Amino acid sequence: MSSEKLRVALIGCGQIADAHLGEIRKLAHAEPVAVCDRERDLAVQAAARFEVPQIFDDVEQMLATARPDVVHITTPPHTHKALAIAALRGGAHVYVEKPFTVDVAEADEVIAVAESAGRLACVGHDQLFDPCWVECRQLFEKGNLGDIVHVDSVQGYDLTGIFGRLVSSDPEHWVRRLPGGVFQNTISHALYKITEFLPDTRPHIQALWFPTPDSGGLKSELRVMLRGEQVTASLISSFAARPVQRLARIYGTKDTVEVDLEARLVRKYYKLSAPGPFAKIEGPYRQSKEAKRNFWKAVRKFWKSDLQYFAGMNGLFDRFYRAILTGGPPPITHGEIRRVTDIMDRIFATCQQQELEFARSNS
Amino acid sequence: MDIFVTGGTGFLGKHVVAKLLADGHTVRCLVRPTSEVEALRSTVSEEQRPRLHFVPGQLQKLTPDLLAGCDAVCHIAAAMKGATAALFVDNVIGVRKLLKVTAEAGTKRVVLISSLAVYDTSGLKNNDVLDETCPLEPQPQLRDPYTYSKLAGEQVAWEAYRAGQCPLVVIRPGVIYGPGRDPLSSRVGLNFGKLLIKMGGSQRLPYVRVEACAAGIALAVTTPGIEGQAFNLLDGELVRARTFLRYYRRGHRGLWVIPVPGWAIGPLAKFNVWYSKRSHGQIPPVLTPYKCNAMWKPLQYSVEKAKSVLGWVPQPNTLDGVQGL
Repeated sequence: MSSEKLRVALIGCGQIADAHLGEIRKLAHAEPVAVCDRERDLAVQAAARFEVPQIFDDVEQMLATARPDVVHITTPPHTHKALAIAALRGGAHVYVEKPFTVDVAEADEVIAVAESAGRLACVGHDQLFDPCWVECRQLFEKGNLGDIVHVDSVQGYDLTGIFGRLVSSDPEHWVRRLPGGVFQNTISHALYKITEFLPDTRPHIQALWFPTPDSGGLKSELRVMLRGEQVTASLISSFAARPVQRLARIYGTKDTVEVDLEARLVRKYYKLSAPGPFAKIEGPYRQSKEAKRNFWKAVRKFWKSDLQYFAGMNGLFDRFYRAILTGGPPPITHGEIRRVTDIMDRIFATCQQQELEFARSNS
Repeated sequence: MDIFVTGGTGFLGKHVVAKLLADGHTVRCLVRPTSEVEALRSTVSEEQRPRLHFVPGQLQKLTPDLLAGCDAVCHIAAAMKGATAALFVDNVIGVRKLLKVTAEAGTKRVVLISSLAVYDTSGLKNNDVLDETCPLEPQPQLRDPYTYSKLAGEQVAWEAYRAGQCPLVVIRPGVIYGPGRDPLSSRVGLNFGKLLIKMGGSQRLPYVRVEACAAGIALAVTTPGIEGQAFNLLDGELVRARTFLRYYRRGHRGLWVIPVPGWAIGPLAKFNVWYSKRSHGQIPPVLTPYKCNAMWKPLQYSVEKAKSVLGWVPQPNTLDGVQGL
């Protein structure tokens, strides 16, 4: 691998840009060289806090002047396609925050430009590289889980947070104008944990979305069932459920595990062997032993400074940059980017259809 | 006068609106869909209601026609919490948009509510006097996100003033307290629920009672010939942190207090910075020597300028001011 550092530029200096710039700076083989935002004040603050030398409010000027090797796009989703294509045509590889694009037609355009330019496009499916998800994947690859039968994926969201309040109070907010509404901006994380184990290109989908009495008409709950050849899955996105969760439960023919992204741990489910009521004692006993093990594991990790909040993002950046430098396989293939985007489109189309049918039956 | 107010339904804004109405002015309040309009309306007397108007809208989408005919703009709206970028959207880009519109509308006075936190205290020794002659923070990105955004917002306004586009008056209040707001602030220490890490104790708290602050702002709106000036607003006699805390623990709520003596703040901040670096940001550098210096250095404060130029009368004493809250 070349010892030269990749020159990284970032477009869109909102809240998530902080995480990107912070993690890029931790990597030995990359350095942030430019930030760009059409609101120059935002670019200025990001550059000042993360010591980025060049500031722009115009993308074309940034591409021409900074000549980045990689461009991170952390703008709202409806701007991703145009910005990614501009960066790819400018000769850069692109890392696009989730969701990759507004729909699969846009994703196809970006991927086509990337492939014709001989560049890589990556999407921010960073939780796939979170240490606890990596641990889960390793259990599967070692055969400990057997064949996967089903995946439950839960994604919570807090509408009372600063961004959530903005979205819920402003009917014109850009998030609400996306085809999938707020879910388009949030469910990628829940969905790509499913698609990791559900290989079908076009799984059968049942889905519905609805508001809750407290959400002010905003569709805040989403339920999805997916069925592939071998694997089924459920996706729950809830703004009402507390605590806010990021959970996935993977059911295998040999074993079942639960991955808790908030607590960053993998919980195992045990087959109980004690007879009758003793199994009810054996269950909590084995869980308490596992909890103790997880506790000390977390303490050890803290001691070793290994509880970084954006560890998954760091892992994905690292793999993406290495793929660029070595010409090795990308951490997320263009095909997978397209497949996840397509499934999202079909989930939202199913929801809209279901909504129409519900309205028709009620009228 | 006809005065356009942003943030009029907020904690300080309500008092400013009440004071302006009481002084006989007409007030136009910019209100967002989430603003508590009824709460403000209910505090206004029958006689005053015809002079209070609500203008639905958002700072980012303001147009000059909404300011047509108004004599002054009083910009109180500000975001207090959130990531730096989010704070910049409201506190910097919001100011930039507002000033563009006031310039187009030909507004004759713009009063910007800034913060006492914008000063550079690194050049001051313990117990030096901080007044309006002190320079502004030269490295705001090293301070907390709120201070950074308020300072950047103020600098945007001064640029517009120097360019002749904004008849600007800046108000820099201290920590505003009053009915409906817990007077315990980060100037005393770091509060986590029932736990308080008390930082130092001998420092005077730069507090200002909300009604007095509102009166100072009203004077800044109406006093002629003060464009291009800034005014600090604070109580007359400031209480020391340890005295305040003694009172607070008696009269308010129980707190578990971990005291950090003044001499230990510097080493603690250095340890935080060292550990944050060593752990690659596992714990962020919340305390840095720079931030601590700005927040907890024992200083004296002067409000002589506001008293002499505006004729402002401050709340005489913070300890009296917090009684009954």
